[in-house]
Amino acid sequence: MKKTQTDLLQGTLDLLVLKTLQSGPTHGWDIAQRIQQISNDVLRVGQGSLYPALHRLEAQGWIASEWGASENNRKAKYYKLTAAGRKQLEAETETWRRFTGAVELILKTS
Amino acid sequence: MLKKLRLRLRALFFKPKMEDELQAELQFHLEREIEENTARGMTPEDARYAAIRSFGGVERVKEESRDVRGVRLLEEVWQDLHYGARMLVKSPSFTLTVILTLALGIGANTAIFSVVNKALLESLPYPDPDRIVQLMHFSPSWALGELANTASVPEFIVFREQRQVFQEIAAYDSVKGVNLIGAEPPEILRAIHVSANYFRLFGAPIEIGRAFSADEDRPGGPHLVVISNGLWHRRFGGDRGLVGQSLSLGGEPYVVIGVLGSGFMADSSAEILLPLQADPESTNPAHVIRVAARLKPGVMLAEAKAQMQLAHEMFRLKFPNWNSSMISLESFTAEPLGDVTVGEVRRPLLVLLGAVGLVLLIACANVANLLMARATGRRREMAIRAALGASRQRIISQTLIEGLLLSLTGGALGLLLGYAGVRALLGVRPADMPRISSAVSLDWRVLAFTLLLSVSTGIIFGILPAFSDGSKMQASAALWESGARTGSGPRQRRARSILVIAEVAMALILLAGAGLLIRTFWALRTVDPGFDAHNVLTMEMSLSGTPFQTAPSVAQLIREAERRIESLPGVGAVAATYSLPLENLLGGPVAIEGLPNDSYVTSLCYVSQRYFEVFRIPLLHGRVFTDRDDDQAPAVALINQAMAEGRSEYRWSSTFPWRKGDPLGERVTVGKGLGTPFEDHTRQIIGVVGEVRDLGLNRNPPPMMYVPIGQMTDGFARMISGDLPIRWVIQTRTERYSLRVDIERELRAASGGLPVAHIRSMEQVVGESIARNRFSMILLTVFAGLALVLGVIGVYGVMTYAVQHRTKEIGIRVALGARPQDIRRMVMLEGMRLALIGVLLGIVGALELTPLMASLLYGVQPSNPTVLTLAAVLLGAVALFAAYIPARRATRVDPMLVLRWE
Repeated sequence: MKKTQTDLLQGTLDLLVLKTLQSGPTHGWDIAQRIQQISNDVLRVGQGSLYPALHRLEAQGWIASEWGASENNRKAKYYKLTAAGRKQLEAETETWRRFTGAVELILKTS
Repeated sequence: MLKKLRLRLRALFFKPKMEDELQAELQFHLEREIEENTARGMTPEDARYAAIRSFGGVERVKEESRDVRGVRLLEEVWQDLHYGARMLVKSPSFTLTVILTLALGIGANTAIFSVVNKALLESLPYPDPDRIVQLMHFSPSWALGELANTASVPEFIVFREQRQVFQEIAAYDSVKGVNLIGAEPPEILRAIHVSANYFRLFGAPIEIGRAFSADEDRPGGPHLVVISNGLWHRRFGGDRGLVGQSLSLGGEPYVVIGVLGSGFMADSSAEILLPLQADPESTNPAHVIRVAARLKPGVMLAEAKAQMQLAHEMFRLKFPNWNSSMISLESFTAEPLGDVTVGEVRRPLLVLLGAVGLVLLIACANVANLLMARATGRRREMAIRAALGASRQRIISQTLIEGLLLSLTGGALGLLLGYAGVRALLGVRPADMPRISSAVSLDWRVLAFTLLLSVSTGIIFGILPAFSDGSKMQASAALWESGARTGSGPRQRRARSILVIAEVAMALILLAGAGLLIRTFWALRTVDPGFDAHNVLTMEMSLSGTPFQTAPSVAQLIREAERRIESLPGVGAVAATYSLPLENLLGGPVAIEGLPNDSYVTSLCYVSQRYFEVFRIPLLHGRVFTDRDDDQAPAVALINQAMAEGRSEYRWSSTFPWRKGDPLGERVTVGKGLGTPFEDHTRQIIGVVGEVRDLGLNRNPPPMMYVPIGQMTDGFARMISGDLPIRWVIQTRTERYSLRVDIERELRAASGGLPVAHIRSMEQVVGESIARNRFSMILLTVFAGLALVLGVIGVYGVMTYAVQHRTKEIGIRVALGARPQDIRRMVMLEGMRLALIGVLLGIVGALELTPLMASLLYGVQPSNPTVLTLAAVLLGAVALFAAYIPARRATRVDPMLVLRWE
């Protein structure tokens, strides 16, 4: 039971990360910042879950990483979406829409 | 996919690099966070702390990030292995004890299993061996392997007609010596006669030349020989030109037509194969051959058996008088050749396998005990690991890996021990043990068996301590307790007590079994065999094909040889016979003059006159043979006491009374009505001699008739010279080795150059007859010894631990005025309580299990109270000793020290 909950959260975070990377390669800290900004501080990504998620997505082959220079010229690890990641993003976006639609339906009816 | 794989491989092989990168990445994140915080106006100090706080545990993030690499399991196993090995090396005495205990248990099992594997599990080395059956006699009261697998030629002729169910019905006789003369040095070769399809039935490969054809396998067929690959190399240097040449075998030329391939392992050790050339018209009732056949495709064993019963009916119609004159046979049957070959060693081997299994269980109990004690000692360590975030699975996997590490090391060592054990086993094995030759090796089955033992013991040991209260405890509780005395819960102590009780019980069962076998062996060594084997030498000479084919010529040879050998210094009486005590092979029906032709069957022994002197067999009534009892004199015979008393407990004899209550002067005829060569002269009984245990030391003496070898019929002399070698028995006063050489020289001189073979002392013959008993006894005694030692270690370990555990309690008791003897008694009573329960359970177990070995025993009942009592007392005494040492240690507890230490 606890597992499904984590899965859901994980899935959500994955979707957010993929979505963020859609606009171009960037590093972990920036991803966390952007999610926070775009969601008007509603969604705060704990660093404790961000990096495992990044590594998991990389292990799945949806994102790829390379070392590059950061905006203040320090060595940072940049993540970018792969072709498989793009497809995954589409699929997950679709799933997410259907899911939220369903939840909304339930909320409306009850 | 490929990318994923690359990532994982990278994770596995470039671990340090990956770790560095992870570190750098997280470091970057942290620094950005700090910058951001500073930008918001925090002091550098605050910015740093806020960043770290919001970040959460760096290590946890790292661990989780590592998780997703998918090699976590492998990494952890590697880590656990590393850690486990380090922990084990850190406590060498514990590790060594466990590994040695396991190695002993696994090694003993490996050794016994290799033998059992070879004898009972491995298929016979023939093509499709499960389809080969032995065609033989059947009687519900017979055990397999007892005389029953032989047949006579007329029976073979009938068997051969059962083609509805069998194909390749082949006959072969047992190995006999044939003289190879005309080439230097002359020697006796081991020969068997086989029917033509023997080669096809057993898939005998032909290296060069060919096997016999069916046409050559007929009475009066050509003299041909196929020789074994071993002989071809040993005697003829692998000369390919040998085929087509002629060898002088038993004085007649035989043409070599083929050489067997080297891979062929017949159950006999024959060096030459001669055509059987069985006569379809034969009425020869002697059981001199064995018959094997292959079941036709699709034929079930049960159908074959039914067909053999029909064959028995046919046989009775063909020979209506057969039963009245020969061993009464109830029916014919077909039995799997493998079962018949293994025969009566199956039970002893299974008993040994069971015994060695108990040894392993005891070893396991000991190791489990040790590991549990250790697990208790490591509660703090485990608790700390749990507090640092190790999951329950992780802790169990750690103990599991340690268990496996121990058991696999023990198993590897056990394999070495097992290999040595097999060598040792082969050293003490009985020579006549079927299928067990020096070829016993550790094959894949044995390796799999050992691996299975090791892995399963390891898993059990690994899981056991983890599930004893070690891993369930609250981490905090264990941490609060002070390390030295973190005790074992009552549950765990009960578990350890049960293990010790089980160990003691199993040790008692093994001791009882060993005791029974020792008693058996002792009984066999001390039973009066009826003859004196001391200082008697025996050797063989084959008369097959030699000029000695009539009674007078054989008698002349014997007289000459006796004269020559007796003139050697250090030699006492000399005699000749066709059958040695304990190795008698002859027998036949006896008709008593004036009585109806009842089929009384007796063993027969053809001897020269001084036979009784050589073996010191006492004369009870009448007289023994003299040199006047030759072929010109009236035919005479001696009988043994069993026959004189009409005593016989063997199935092939009926009992009968002598007419006047006294056999002296009665006239008897062996094989009456059977015709040449089986019908003997009518003989007068001139004396009664003591009985010899001819069927084996564990069997009562059979009725026996002794006949002067010089008085045999010529027909019998011709037949016997082809079947059995003559055996010389020589009483010596000094046992110098050169005597054998002198005797051999004189024998060759007396016989015109015939080779002599198989020189043994009679003590050796006696030893060989009880070699199997000795084998089982030695092994079971070794196992019982192992069990005893392991059991003692078990009791000692548990008591030592209990004393350590109760140090505080004992200290308080002493402080309150308990005397040393009270403390000692208290500890010893506890130890003895466990031992006593174990002993009682063991006695119950022994009473249940020892009847399984009844067939291995002689002169002692399976439930023998003396043996059980002795085993119990021995085990009790040893347990007492094992409990005494920790008890004494307990009395030395210094109360002040203990109390201050609190």
